[in-house]
Amino acid sequence: MTERAVPASGPIAERETRRPLDVQLGAIGVVGGLLSGLLGVGGGVIMVPLLVLWAGYRQREAHAMSLGAIIPISVAGILTFGIAGEVRWLDAAALAVGAVVGARLGAGLLARVEERPLKIAFGCFLVAAAIAMAVHV
Amino acid sequence: MSAALLLLVLAAFGLGTGAAAGLLGVGGGILMVPFLTLAVGLSQHEAEATSLVVVLPTALAASLALRRRGVGDLGLALRFGVVGAVGGLVGALLALALPASALRVVFSLFLALVGVRLVRDGVRT
Repeated sequence: MTERAVPASGPIAERETRRPLDVQLGAIGVVGGLLSGLLGVGGGVIMVPLLVLWAGYRQREAHAMSLGAIIPISVAGILTFGIAGEVRWLDAAALAVGAVVGARLGAGLLARVEERPLKIAFGCFLVAAAIAMAVHV
Repeated sequence: MSAALLLLVLAAFGLGTGAAAGLLGVGGGILMVPFLTLAVGLSQHEAEATSLVVVLPTALAASLALRRRGVGDLGLALRFGVVGAVGGLVGALLALALPASALRVVFSLFLALVGVRLVRDGVRT
């Protein structure tokens, strides 16, 4: 526990990835899991910032932790929704084939794309989608 | 729309979603759920359940790619995720207990927050 006494504002050393699973990480996982099961998303959108800002992970390591965690987390959600009969398996299979290929393309494009306008455009699109969903209730 | 055409459209949308996820680090689920409810006409619960089935192989493929490049510790991440799976179970049960309209409002709020954060990040960096 002594190494946790590092001030939150100071630079945090290379201890992150070798760290055992502690209460703080467990809490972050549970919060990510709750969001994932409740909303049908991976949960990375909350886990990555918590890992970086609260647990002191570097961005890349946080990204890797979050992606790995999504595997068992999504299995729990799939089983729960699956037993309830809510999964459209054929639709999911078609989407998944595209998504796995697309993720490779996206990762390959990462180095060559201007990130700022992409984030702004994408963010605006999400807000518009949110409004459309709320209006359609 | 015929069934075969729908599957083609879904695969194409999956491609775009996966690419966006790889580019922005925002998972595919956040795009798939609105698409499945607004464009394909699934119920909120069906859309979320189906989205999770797509999130799993995407995260698996990305995790394996990161491991090949030596980023992170997949064993620790998986154990971290097993703890998180408790939250996943509770979250999914909570979603199933909520009426679709309430769940949709909660999802919309979440979507708007993520959208605003992305715009803010884009303006600042």
